[in-house]
Amino acid sequence: MANSHDVVPGVVFSTVDKVARWAQSSSLWPFAFGLACCAIEMMSTVAGRFDIARFGAEVFRASPRQADLMIVAGRVSMKMGPVIKRLYDQMPDPKWVIAMGACSSCGGVFNNYAIIQGVDKVIPVDVYVPGCPPNPDALLYAVTRLQEKIRSGEARPGHKILEPAQEVITVESGRTS
Amino acid sequence: MEFEQTRRIFEKARERFGEDVSLSDRPNGEGSIVVEPSLIRDFTRWVRDEAEGSFDFFGEVCATDFLGRSPRFDLTYTVYSTTANRHLHYKTRVDDPDPQVDSVVDIFPGAGWHEREIFDMFGVRFHGHPDLRRILMPEHWRGHPLRKDYPLGGEEVQFSSNFADITPQTLPPAPGEDIFLGWDVLETQPSSYTQLLESGAELEHDGEGRMVINMGPQHPSTHGVLRLLLELDGENVVKAVPDIGFLHTGIEKTGESLNYQQALTLTDRMDYLSPMGNNLAFSLSVERLIGLEPPERATILRVIFAELTRIQSHLVWLGTHALDLGAMSAFFYCFRERDQILDMFEMVSGVRMMTSYICPGGLREDVTDDFVPALERFLKVFPDRLGEYETLLTRNPIWLERTQGVGKISAEDAVAYGVSGASLRGSGVRWDVRKAEPYCGYDTYDFEVPVGTNGDVYDRYLCRIEEMRQSHRIIRQALSRLQPGPVQAEERKVVPPPKSEIGQSMESLIHHFLITTIGFVAPPGEGHVPTETGRGLLSFYIVGDGSPKPYRMRARTPSFANLQALPRMLEGCLVADAVATIGSIDIVLGEIDR
Ligand code: SF4
Repeated sequence: MANSHDVVPGVVFSTVDKVARWAQSSSLWPFAFGLACCAIEMMSTVAGRFDIARFGAEVFRASPRQADLMIVAGRVSMKMGPVIKRLYDQMPDPKWVIAMGACSSCGGVFNNYAIIQGVDKVIPVDVYVPGCPPNPDALLYAVTRLQEKIRSGEARPGHKILEPAQEVITVESGRTS
Repeated sequence: MEFEQTRRIFEKARERFGEDVSLSDRPNGEGSIVVEPSLIRDFTRWVRDEAEGSFDFFGEVCATDFLGRSPRFDLTYTVYSTTANRHLHYKTRVDDPDPQVDSVVDIFPGAGWHEREIFDMFGVRFHGHPDLRRILMPEHWRGHPLRKDYPLGGEEVQFSSNFADITPQTLPPAPGEDIFLGWDVLETQPSSYTQLLESGAELEHDGEGRMVINMGPQHPSTHGVLRLLLELDGENVVKAVPDIGFLHTGIEKTGESLNYQQALTLTDRMDYLSPMGNNLAFSLSVERLIGLEPPERATILRVIFAELTRIQSHLVWLGTHALDLGAMSAFFYCFRERDQILDMFEMVSGVRMMTSYICPGGLREDVTDDFVPALERFLKVFPDRLGEYETLLTRNPIWLERTQGVGKISAEDAVAYGVSGASLRGSGVRWDVRKAEPYCGYDTYDFEVPVGTNGDVYDRYLCRIEEMRQSHRIIRQALSRLQPGPVQAEERKVVPPPKSEIGQSMESLIHHFLITTIGFVAPPGEGHVPTETGRGLLSFYIVGDGSPKPYRMRARTPSFANLQALPRMLEGCLVADAVATIGSIDIVLGEIDR
C-alpha cells in the first residue's frame, strides 16, 4: 500500500485481488441451461418484474465456455448426471455453482431410483437455494449471497465437493476438456 | 365412453373374432374389451377400420404389473375417434417369463414410443417393432423400474431418531446393493453417433458428405433437456432422431408409493407449465374411480383455473418460441402477463407454480376475496395485451419467413402419430377434448376451436394465439356463473371435514385423522378421464386396489406423443427450421420423461 502522502486525489488504492473479485462478483455470466420446473422460475427472474440485470447477472450464455456461473435449475436424473459433469468441466475457471431448488440440492420430493439425490454428488456447489421452486426473489438472494462470498474470497471453485463424493469424482479446477 | 357403447362394439367384435374376445366390466366406468395376445394386430386393425366410429387416433398403450397374478401384465390400449368423439379401451394380457406380444407400430405409427416405453419400464417385448430399445432409462440400466418387484430406490433420509443407524451413502454403492450403477457405467452411455448406431438407432449413413450433429441435451432452444441427433446434408436435415429421458424422474413409480393426496403433488411437477391442468386431470380420474362429484362452484372454478393455466402456458410458449427465433421483446411482454396470472395462483394456493390446488373432491380451499377483482383486472387488460403480441409477430416479415411452410405435417400423419392439442389442430383437424368428450361442463360454454390449414409452424402459432382468446371468453362466462357455495364434496371419507366440525364431533375428528395420516381409500377399479391441457390430450389412468395408494398411476402426456412426430415434421427442413419446429410443438420435457 502507498503512503498516505502519495495519494493522488480521485484515485483509490486497493489490492489487485480485491478488484478482481469485485469485478468477478459484479458481472456473473450465468449459463443458460434449465432442467425442469425451476428453470421456469429462473426465466421469470430474468424477465421484467424481477430483473436479474439489477445484480449484473443477466448475460445468460448458451455455451459453457462463456459462462462462469452454473445455476442448476431442476432435478438431475441419472442420465443427465454425466452431462452436467461434462458441462461443468467445460466452463473456464473461475466458476461457481448455485443449486436452485430442492431437487438439485437434495433430490427434493423425488427420493427414487431415477434422480440423483443432490447435484453436489456430481459437481461442487457454492450456494443452495431451498424451495420447490424457489421464488425468483430467493434466486436473487442466492446471487447476492454468492457475490458476497466471491468478494470475501470465501467461495473458491473446486473446494466444496462433499466428502463422500470426493472419492469418486475429482473435480480438477482449471480443466477445460 | 358409456359402458353400453363398449358393449355394442364388443358384440360386433364377438361376431368377428369369436370366443377370443371378452368383455371386462370395469367397476366404475366404461368397460373394456379383453383380447387374446395373438389377436392384437387383427383387432387393432379392425378397431381402426371397421369398428363403429372407426377409432383413428392412437391414444396410448400402457402396462400394469399385477405381480403374483397369472398372466402377470395387463396392456391397456386406448384409442380415440376424432370423428365420432369417443374412445375405447382394450386390453391384452401377457405372462412371465419373457412377456411378449406383437407390435402395432405399422397400424398406428404413434404406438412406437409407447411400446418402447413399456419395453424399457416393464420388459415386455414387442415383435416386429423396428427400433425396440430403451427410451427413458440409460442404455445400460439394469432391470425394469416400473415392475412391482423393482425397488423404489433413493436414499434413506437421516432423522434424529435414526441418525446413528444410517451412514451417508457413498457413491457408487457396493455391487448388488443398490440400483445405482456407478459413474463408470453412466459415463459410457452412448454419447457419440457411432455408439448410437451400434445401439440400434438406424440413421442412414452413406458416408457421402453427410454430417451428424448432436443438438442437446444442453441447448437453449430444445426447451429443456431434449437431445436431437440430426443427420445433415449441407444445411438440410436428412433425418432426426430424438433421444429423451434426460429428465426421467420416476413420477409414476413414486406416485404408486404415495397416497392419493400426496401423489397429486407430483402431477404439478410433471408438466410444470400447466400444474392446474395436471391437477385437474388427476383429480377427475380419481373421482371417477371413487365415484365422487365435486360441487358446482368447484367445477366452475376448476374451469377458470384450467383456462388461466392454458393462457399462462401458452404465454411461456410464445415468449420462448419467439426468443428462439430472435424476437426478444415478446418474451418480456409475455412474462409480464404471466406474472399477473401467477399472482392469482399465489393468492389462492400460496405458491406461484406448484399449486396442488385442484384436488380430488373439489378444491383445496375456496378462493380468497381479492381473487375475483384480480381476475377481472386481468380479463380487462388481456385482450389488448394479446393484440400487442400480435403486432409484434403476426405480420412481421421475419416471423413469416421463419415460420410459414416450415415444419409441416399433414392431418393424416398427425392423427396417426397421436399428435394432439394445437399441434394437431394446426393441421386442420378439429379435435379438442373439451368439445369431443366434455368434462367439467365444457359443453355448456360457448367457445370456438380454432384450426389451421397448412399444418406448419405459423398455423400452430395462430391456433395458440386464438386459443388464448377463446380461453379468455370461457373465463368470462364462467365468472358470470360463479355463485357462493361449497368447494368440496360432502364426502367425509374422502374430503377432510372443516375445522369447525372437528372440535364438535368425534366422528369428524376420526375422519380427519384417518384422511391426513393414511389417506382416503379408493375401491378396486380403474379411473380414466381424458382432458385437454395447453399441449393436448392428457389423461391419467389410475388403477385402485382398495388401498389408499394408487396401484398404478400412469400419465398419457401430450408432449410425449407430439415429440414423436417431430422427425416427420423435420424431413427436408433446414437446421434453423428445426429450432422453429421444436418451439412450435410446445414440448415440456418434464412430462415427456416423467
Ligand atoms: S425443486 Fe421443485 S420446482 Fe424445482 S425442479 Fe424440483 S420439483 Fe421442480
